[in-house]
Amino acid sequence: MPAKRRAAQWPWLGLLVLILVGLAAGLWFATQRIHYEWHWARVPQYFAYHDEELQIAPVAGVVLRINPTGADSRIEIQPEGGGQPVTVTVETETLKVKAGESVAEDADLGAVRSWKIGPLTWGLWVTIWISFVSGLIGMVIGLITGLCRLSPNPTLRWLAILYIELIRGTPLLVQIFIFYFFIGTVLNLDRTVAGIGALALFVGAYVAEIIRAGIQSIPRGQSEAARSLGMSATETMIYIVLPQAFKRVLPPLAGQFISLIKDSSLVSVIAITDLTKSGREIITSSFATFEIWFTVALLYLVVTSVLSQVLFWLERRFARSD
Amino acid sequence: MIKVNKLFKIFEGRNGQAVRAVDDVSTQIAKGEVVVIIGPSGSGKSTFLRCLNGLEAFDDGQVVIDGIDLTASKTNLNAIRREVGMVFQHFNLFPHKTVLENLTLAQQVVRKRKAAEAEDKAMKLLTKVGIAEKAHEYPSRLSGGQQQRVAIARALAMDPKVMLFDEPTSALDPEMVGEVLDVMKQLAKEGMTMAVVTHEMGFAREVAHRVLFMDFGRILEDAPPTEFFTAPKEPRAQTFLKQVL
Ligand SMILES: Nc1ncnc2c1ncn2[C@@H]1O[C@H](COP(=O)(O)OP(=O)(O)OP(=O)(O)O)[C@@H](O)[C@H]1O
Ligand SMILES: [Mg+2]
Repeated sequence: MPAKRRAAQWPWLGLLVLILVGLAAGLWFATQRIHYEWHWARVPQYFAYHDEELQIAPVAGVVLRINPTGADSRIEIQPEGGGQPVTVTVETETLKVKAGESVAEDADLGAVRSWKIGPLTWGLWVTIWISFVSGLIGMVIGLITGLCRLSPNPTLRWLAILYIELIRGTPLLVQIFIFYFFIGTVLNLDRTVAGIGALALFVGAYVAEIIRAGIQSIPRGQSEAARSLGMSATETMIYIVLPQAFKRVLPPLAGQFISLIKDSSLVSVIAITDLTKSGREIITSSFATFEIWFTVALLYLVVTSVLSQVLFWLERRFARSD
Repeated sequence: MIKVNKLFKIFEGRNGQAVRAVDDVSTQIAKGEVVVIIGPSGSGKSTFLRCLNGLEAFDDGQVVIDGIDLTASKTNLNAIRREVGMVFQHFNLFPHKTVLENLTLAQQVVRKRKAAEAEDKAMKLLTKVGIAEKAHEYPSRLSGGQQQRVAIARALAMDPKVMLFDEPTSALDPEMVGEVLDVMKQLAKEGMTMAVVTHEMGFAREVAHRVLFMDFGRILEDAPPTEFFTAPKEPRAQTFLKQVL
């Protein structure tokens, strides 16, 4: 029976492959039509590149001698006006002078090369840490708001409702602008702080609703049992309700944090150099528009997939007691 | 041990109708006494029991546990509840904790006992109710009867002065009722003060010192079991007994 069912799957998988190949071919023909030339080779340098820092003679003078030390060479220059010799270190491969040669001030002696992090890697890093920090703050805001939302105190409850409705009823882009241009100006906030603040407030409202639903999904008998053992309301919340609620809300929370990573691309509008902003900047110099956007998309995809794998693993660990 | 004086609990129904779940109830339970509360469904037995440990806030009247008035403004309800153990129909074990942790958590959090001391106590009680070998399992791996015995042990771990049981065997398969009742009988023999809501008439006959019959939120009859089961005075108690026996 299972063998039979698998056999019936093959035609559909074949069709799937056919459709995917068709899409790829369509893409290729489309770029052919607009005479787009692919330059994938230009992409890697934006992850990391070999930087050459030119070394110049600090004074005019004569090269006394050159001491090779490993891959480097130390050039000693006797200044024209007399005095102590000065030393400049360059990589031997890039050496441009010989011993005994006289050099003018600012003359090119060689270079020091090093690997530098490219803007794509840097942007990716900014995206990751901004998402992480705002997710963390948003989680705290959401937990507090979710608890206030369920509080018997009307002030707390209505403040929570107001905040949640305000955030959920307005676009994130507008919130970022308000946060940056209004609150940021009034409180004199750095743009990064403003961006993180706006994202944290945004995600906090959604987390609050998720947590509220999670808490409400725990049967009343649980807190009654805890209270009947003499635990206070706070102890009951900490030891009994929240741990169970957290386990239940993990999947929706995971979805929320994955959304957050994607939504964080909007902070590029207030000139935070995240992955999206880096991509835009690179395009102005590389002219590899399609390649860069595809790469940026792929990088977001990698980050979100890794996160969802981590959360999936966490979920399975929590499922131990089921 | 327990004094109840003119207790009232009124629920506002959805349609604005008031339900008198507990209606002018006064009674006393002495130390070491086992009182069984019976009555038809909706007669207010659970609500009455829940008023005894302050799980349900009552509207009027007085409940005094071991000399402490629940209604007095400076009474700490949490402090009272740790002296009053409660066992629920649906066990209400903590599913995210192992059996052992179910028993040790409140000891450590509420009674501030050291982990070793709490575990020691927990293992003794689990041995007593006959499931020491399941100490490290999660509750979902246990049968209903085993879960209820863990729930009883969990309540006992707090060294309560009184135990309240709200239909502890109603959610169990018939073959598991006996093992739970045996634990309760054992407790009664040891002199625990108990208030038990149950439909197990055999248990009431054998163990109870008094039977309270409730209907419409009132205690209609209060008599020793022999008297109650052979010659109930109340006509409603007579009809009820005819139905269940
Ligand atoms: N939270 C509540 N809100 C409104 N009405 C309630 C609530 N709890 C109980 N009641 C009502 O109070 C009355 C007494 O309920 P209670 O649960 O105490 O009865 P019971 O004797 O325990 O019944 P059962 O044998 O079915 O458990 C019922 O009419 C019930 O509908
Ligand atoms: Mg009941």
